[in-house]
Parts: sequence; C-alpha cells; structure tokens
Amino acid sequence: MGGRLRLVARLAGRDVHRRWSEALLLVLAIAAGSATLTLGMLLHNVTTQSSGQSYSQTQAATRGPDLVAQSATLDNGTTSPADLAALVALSHAKGVVASSGPYPMATADLRTPTVTGGATVEGRSESPAAVDQPLVTAGTWVRPGGVVVERAFAQAAGVEVGQVIRLNGRAFTVDGIAVTAAFSPYPQIGCFAGCFGPQSFANDAVGLLWTTEAGARSLATASAPLTYFSNLKLADPTQATAVANAQDNNNYTKNPGSPNGPYLLSAQQIAHEDNNLIVNEQIVVLVGSTLLTILSIASVAVLVGGRMADQMRRVGLLKAIGGTPGLVASVLMAEYLFLALVGAAVGLLGGWLFAPLLSSPGSGLLGSAPRPPLTVSSVLIVAGVALGVALVAALVPALRAAQTSTVRALADSARPPHRSALLVRLSARLPVPLLIGLRVMARRLRRTTLSVLSIFVTVSGVVAVLIVHGRLNSAEFNGVSGLVNPRTTRANEVLLAVTVGLVVLAAVNAVFITRAIAQDARHASAVTRALGATPQQVTAGLSLAQMLPALIGSLLGIPGGFLLYNAAKHGGQSETMPPVPELLAVIVGAVLLVAVLTAIPARWGARRPVASILQAELA
Amino acid sequence: MQQEVVLAMLAKEPSHGYELRARLGAALGPLGEALNGGQIYVTLARLEKAGLVRTARVEDGGAEAERPERKVYALTSAGEERVTEWLAEVSWPKPDLAEFHLKLVTAAAAHLADPISIVDAQRRELLRRLRDAQRAAMTEVAQSDGALLLEGVVLRLQADLRWLEACEATWTDRRSTR
Amino acid sequence: MSDTERHRTQYTGAEREISPLVRGRGLRKEYGSAEGLVRAVDDVDLDIAPGETLAIMGPSGCGKSTLLHLLGGLDRPSTGQVWLGGQRLDTMSERELARLRRSSVGFVFQAFHLMDELTAVENIELPALLAGCSPRAARRRARDLLEQVEMSDRATHLPSALSGGQRQRVAIARALANEPAVVLADEPTGNLDSGATLEVLRLFDRLHAAGQTLVIVTHDERIAATADRLVSMRDGAFVDETRLAGGTGNLSSLIGIEA
Repeated sequence: MGGRLRLVARLAGRDVHRRWSEALLLVLAIAAGSATLTLGMLLHNVTTQSSGQSYSQTQAATRGPDLVAQSATLDNGTTSPADLAALVALSHAKGVVASSGPYPMATADLRTPTVTGGATVEGRSESPAAVDQPLVTAGTWVRPGGVVVERAFAQAAGVEVGQVIRLNGRAFTVDGIAVTAAFSPYPQIGCFAGCFGPQSFANDAVGLLWTTEAGARSLATASAPLTYFSNLKLADPTQATAVANAQDNNNYTKNPGSPNGPYLLSAQQIAHEDNNLIVNEQIVVLVGSTLLTILSIASVAVLVGGRMADQMRRVGLLKAIGGTPGLVASVLMAEYLFLALVGAAVGLLGGWLFAPLLSSPGSGLLGSAPRPPLTVSSVLIVAGVALGVALVAALVPALRAAQTSTVRALADSARPPHRSALLVRLSARLPVPLLIGLRVMARRLRRTTLSVLSIFVTVSGVVAVLIVHGRLNSAEFNGVSGLVNPRTTRANEVLLAVTVGLVVLAAVNAVFITRAIAQDARHASAVTRALGATPQQVTAGLSLAQMLPALIGSLLGIPGGFLLYNAAKHGGQSETMPPVPELLAVIVGAVLLVAVLTAIPARWGARRPVASILQAELA
Repeated sequence: MQQEVVLAMLAKEPSHGYELRARLGAALGPLGEALNGGQIYVTLARLEKAGLVRTARVEDGGAEAERPERKVYALTSAGEERVTEWLAEVSWPKPDLAEFHLKLVTAAAAHLADPISIVDAQRRELLRRLRDAQRAAMTEVAQSDGALLLEGVVLRLQADLRWLEACEATWTDRRSTR
Repeated sequence: MSDTERHRTQYTGAEREISPLVRGRGLRKEYGSAEGLVRAVDDVDLDIAPGETLAIMGPSGCGKSTLLHLLGGLDRPSTGQVWLGGQRLDTMSERELARLRRSSVGFVFQAFHLMDELTAVENIELPALLAGCSPRAARRRARDLLEQVEMSDRATHLPSALSGGQRQRVAIARALANEPAVVLADEPTGNLDSGATLEVLRLFDRLHAAGQTLVIVTHDERIAATADRLVSMRDGAFVDETRLAGGTGNLSSLIGIEA
C-alpha cells in the first residue's frame, strides 16, 4: 500500500515538474477563487463574531448611549409641546439611569468650497454631557459661531479644522472633528435625522455636525423645523433593543401612519448600521468568489482535458504493466488534488492578508479592526472547495482515461471527435474561416461549452458589477455633489478587484482553451491546409472557434448579470438598467479580448509546416 | 506439363483431352492463355503407355468432322495411387538464385562486367515481368483462381526485386570501399 | 569510386516534345543546423510530362516524401526551383501556395488523413468548399467522384466505418475534387493489404487512362512497375531511371509451365 502511494506520488510529482507552467496556472486559477472565498468568509466573521468591536471602543470613549430617542413630529414636521414633553419624560422613565438632551436638531443646506449638500446639525451645550459626549479627535468642542464635524463625513467632504463652511448661507468656522456612538458615522446616518424633515435628504448623503444649541435653533426654518434628540443610559443595556422595538410597535400598531411617541434606536441597532458597510462588501465578495470558483472549475477542466490527451500513452503503459483503472485514475487525480491544495493555501494566505483592507470600520469609529482570525472551519471550507473544484473538473477525464482500453491508449489514438451533422451542413454554406471555425467548435463540444460558460460567468459578473456601480453612482448615493462616499469608494474598490479577477481568469481560460483547441485540431488544420486553406483562413477559423462561443456567452451574460444582481442583492433595491452602450461595449469587449488572446495560440497552430505535422502522424 | 497435374485433373471424372485443356485454362487464368493445347494429348498418350491412364471409351466425331475421334480418358488404379502420392508430396520449386549470384561474383572478380549494371539490367527485366503480371492481375476478377495465381507470381517477383536491391546496395558498397 | 561515376541521367521531357507539367531544377532541401545538417533532397532535376505516371522509389528516409512535398507546394526548397503548370512555386508566399494546392494539386497520403467527423461525401467535397464552390456544386461533384471510385453506397459512412482500401479511395476522390493538374500520392498503399492495394492500383490505372498526371512515392514494386517511368532515390538524389515499356503479352513465360 505504501509502495503504491509512493508510486502515485512520484508519477504525479514528475508530471508537475515536467509541465510546471501549466501547473502554475492551475494553482493560480484555484488560488484566485480560494482567496475571494477566504475574504468572503473572513468578512462574515467580522460582522457576525467580532461585531462592533470598534463600536464598543467608541461607545466607551464617548459615554455612548444605550438608547437614542427622537421626538415624534406632526405632519408638517414641527414638534408639538406634548411630543417634546414625552421625550423629556423618557429621561425619568423606569430603568433609565442617566440621560442627556433633549438637543435640538436642524437640517440645513451645506456648502464647503468643494461640496454642496445637506447637513443635520445637533445643538449641544459647550460643557460635556453625561451621555454621548462626542470625542474630539482634532480641534475643540463646540463654541458659538463654530461647528464640529463628524469625522467620517469630514474626511469624505475634505473638511478641516479652521475652514469656513456655510449652513443655509451663513458662515461657520470648523472648530473641531469628533466621533460619536449615538449616530452611525457617515454615510449611514440613516433616516433618524433626515427623513422626517420636510426637506428630506437622501439617506446617505447627509453629514452630521454639532454646534451650540443657539446655533442649531438659528438654522431652523419654517420648512425645516427642529426635531429633538435625547440620549439614554439604561440599568440593563441588553434590554435596549427590546425597548426600542416595543416602542416602535406601540407607535405603529396603535396609530398607524401617525406615531404618537418618540422613536427609539438602540446602540446595537446603530452598531448594526455600521456593519452594513462591511456586509455589502461581503455579499459582493461572496458572489465574486462563487463566480471565480466556477471559472476556476472551467480552467481546471480545460487544463486537465488537454493534459489527459497528452497522458494517454502513459495511461496505456501503466495499464500494460498491470495498473488497474483505479490506480491509473488515482495517479491522474493525485496531481490535480495536490495542485488544488497548493492553490487553496495560496488563496487562504492571500485572502487573509487582504482582509484588513476591507474590514476596517472606517473613520467614523475609533480603533481599527484586528486582522480577523482564520478559523479552522474556514480553512477546511476553502480547502474543500478547492479540492471539489479539482475533483469536479478532473474526475470525468481521469475516469475516461482510466477506462480506455490499454491497446487504444498505447496507440495514443485521440478521442474521436464529436460529429454534428447540422453544423457540418450549415458551415458548408459559410465563408472558409467560418466553415473551419464552426467545424472546430463542433469537434469538441465539451470544450466549446466551457468557453461559453467561462465568458457567460465573466460577463454576468461584469454586468452585475455595472448595475451595482450604476446604483452607487446614482443620485441616491451622491446627494452631496463632490462628496466622496466612503462606502461607495470601498464598494467600488471591491467591485473592481472582483472584476479584474473575473476578467483575468476568463482571459486565462480563453488562452488555455484556444491552445487546447489548436493542439487538438493540429492534424485537422494541417490536412485542411494541405487541401488548400491558407494559414490566414485556418488562424481565423481557430480564433472564430473561440469568438463565437464568446459572443454566445456574453449575450447570455447580459440577462445573467441581472439575474445575478437580483439573486445577490439584499433588500428591495431594484436594478437600474446600465446604459445600452455600456452593455454593448461589454459584449464587443469580451469578443474582441477573446479574439486578441486567441490570435497568438491560433496562429501558432496554423503556422507550423504542414508537411512535418502530417509526417509526424506516421511516426 | 507435369504428368501429375493431368492425372489429378482426371481424378474428378473421365474426360476428353479438350475438357482437360479448358479446365486447365480456367485454373491458370490469363497465365494459361498461351498454353499449347497439343501438349495435353501428348502427355495423355504417354500416361496411357505407362499404365496410369486408360481409354474409357471412344466417341465418334459425329457431325463435327474436324474432330477425328474423342477419346474419353480415365485413371487406372495405378494412376489413382500416383495422384494420392503427388498430393501428399511437399516438394517445392527451389529458388534458383545461386546462378545469378555467381554471375555477379565472377563478373566482378574477372573485371568482365560491372556487377551493378548486371543487377540493373536484371532489375529492368524483372520489373517488366512484374508490370505484365500486375497489369494482368488488375483485369482479373478478385478472388478468381487466375487472380490468386497472379498474386503468387507478383509476390515472387517482388521478393526477387528486393533481393536485387540488396545486391545493388552491397556491390555499390564494395565498389566504393575498394 | 566516386559519386560522379554513378549512373545519372538528365531527366528531361524533351523526347516527348511536350512542355513538362512539373519541372524541378537543382532542388535541395536541408534540415537542421551546420553540424547536424541533413540533406533530405540533394540537387534533383526532374520533369514530368502531362498525363505521365511517375513512380519514385527508394528506401525509407531517402527523401522521396520530401521531394513530393516540394513538388506540391507543401514545403519550400532550400535552394532550386519548382514549376507547376508554368507557375513558379519556390518564390510563392504561404497563401499563394495554399491557393495553388487548392486549384492544381491533389494529395493522397499513406495515413489517408480523412477528417474523422466527416462522412465520405463530406470529406470529398471539402476541397471544393475551401475553393469557394457552392455547397450544391461541391456536393454534386463529390457524388460523381464517389461513383468514380465505386463508393456511392458508402457516401454517408464515417471513415471509422470504412475499410482501409475504402478510406484510401475516398481520399483519392477527395484529391480529385478540384480537378487538379497533378495528383501526388505518398505511399498510397503503405497501410493497405494486397486486395486493397489492387483496388487502388486499378483506380490509378483508370485515372492514368483518363490523362491524369500522377506522381506516386512508394516502396511497393507493384505500383512502381505499373508506372510509365520509375526513378530510384537514395540519400536524397536520383540514382536510376527506368522507362517501363509495355508488356510482352506472353504471360505464360512468367510461370514455369512449359506447355
């Protein structure tokens, strides 16, 4: 048994050594999928396990509230004395051990030298509050005539201490930059402050500012009246979410559409909002890694298929000297399983190294996320998926090779090509390059299917990315023009990374497949040339054999992208149609890219002297 | 014509001389076309004298005045014995290559002629024969008796031509090393 | 003795007083680098008259296949000139050579080189399609050729369902698809048994009778013997030429029957 294992290992090792470049590509293909999968899982861990580590840090440093309460408003947005009284009463409710506020909150037009948008401005006392005293990270706390800007927003808007900004046209000096645990940092300020004002801003495009109470009151207008906020500390903080939900329930079930009590939001809910920043990325990364995994299956399948054809003689020899089909299959499989494990290891390392870039909480909170721990289960999952990829891709060719009769394998006769009578008849009516291309395609249906699949997956991914990208850049996310939305920026970075991964892997696939096709069709193209086809016609034919599947794949990829987006999105955001020229560009780009990538291997296949190829067949 | 062939042909049934001739022609195909018919009768007469064949009956020439008489021959018991012996024999024509071989050796030794031109001439002759045989074979119906015999002739000639090739190669070598 | 004393003839078609269809002058084909230089074809002059059947014989590795490739424009000579039907091949580009092969040359190979996934009739029509023939005309021509090679009943068979002799007949029909000026056959019977060889020989004979120019590379004396002319090659050069006259007609002399 040991001897057999050693034999299997040695044979597999020799083969890896002999064709190391292909082995390297194989490892890279699997590593790309594994890395994204690792990233997805690490981000998942961040959000589910070490959730809110940064938030708790911030909470501790700013005497963060357990509950934030906002006064109810009338239909015109103004706050009745009764509602304000209800808010004040909360501070003395049972279970509340400390409180601050109520503080007036104004909404105002914001202008900085570079940004035009909206702001919610909370009026605070100059002396420190018992609950929610934002931590000043630069400059000073609020002074008359000045404002303090929430740090994430300040960074996004490029606001610095000492700068003058305009609120509703009036100049204010930026006295400081601060962080808070009472509101989600920009861009997740949420509906809490903005939505109820008559001048409602888009959710995510509003910055949070603090000024003096007088300053806040002075910003109120008839169309944008003040609302009020209180911060509460509970005896039992774990009850905060339950209390908030109960109040919510109470408001809406008793008097639907016209709430009669303050709104409550718990610290946990605020922390969860923070995590949305990471959750979104996690979805992108998970979807991306699924696509990359599918593509790596395609790569591995093509590589394995091509190598199996070369290994036929070896299979025959192994069987002739007494190797059972099982032994042959395990020799063939061992190599790919080994390479898959190497790929998984590289991917795990890469994913682990990259994870902090995506899981950092952003500047709205204190501290930075520690490198997320790589759990045993995620290592096992990544390794399992990588092995699964190799197994799925290599099993069929390996079993087929192992089942081939010894005599046939020794004779090294190639797998008989597939015949498609329809395509043969159809292609007879077409120009010579198309005739050659269609017939080459028809000869190897499995490989052609893989080409279609590879391009389909890639274009689906790219189209989904375009939809997401279109949404991110839509007005909804960019109410404040000129403002850098950190979420958008980071999501765009992730999207770009996934896209680049998809395109690179698809490109590698296209080259692999064309090389395999050129290799496989070497004899047929030599004969075709002997019969009078020019090298140009044969090159074009071999390229077309890839471009047609690319065209089919990218056409299918357009609806595929929409389906993918709808399947992956969470929440009810409907897709926005990317502009038609963009979609056309994707199709044309995919086909052209394939044309360029395949031209070289195809040329290689069509340029070799005919005589020597035909002669070699006899040897 | 070998006596045994004529005897064996009579083993099927008592026959006229001309019937034997027709059967012989069919078995030989195009190779039997130029066969001298008279030879059969001479052989039959010899065989009768030797007691291997007897005249079973004589048929009158009848209306066809050209044929004087038609003797129907049959095997005697001695003749039958001879046929049985012949069928069991394993004799085979021996390839007569020694003569040509010696021709080359002596010609070279005595500087009488260039062995290679002798080989060339011989090769041409054999190719001519092969061409005749091959052309005849191409006109024959596949699987016929004639085609089978022609194939044998063709294969023998091919073997001889290959030997001539070997002769040429060897004598060319010898000439250039000397 | 040196090579110069070897029997060599100038192979000119002058005696026929017809300008040759194929003409080679000083043909040389070399492979490899300076030290390991192999001269596959070494200074060959050759004329082939229209309608002639030429057999090229010689041991394997003597360069006869390479010479055939040079004559058909599958390969270019290192030095020397080749003409086919008045066109000079050795200066042509790959593309021009392909066009020339398409219109003027039919190849027949030892290994048949049929497309495995195409039926007999589809294989035969392929050169016509490559030449830009309409699918209908190509199919009609292919059917005619199938009849010529007596394979009409096998039109829709794949090569894998045909015997060796049948495959070679399909390959010969394919070589004839564009009515080439010359058919070049490289060991056409090398993979065939004697019955199938005879079928192919009969077919060549019919083509010859119809005036088709044929060049056959072979080591089979049977094929060589039926050609009009036979040249022998050794080490890349012609060493002997035999013009084979018609038969004597006295077939009986072939066998030892003294009647």
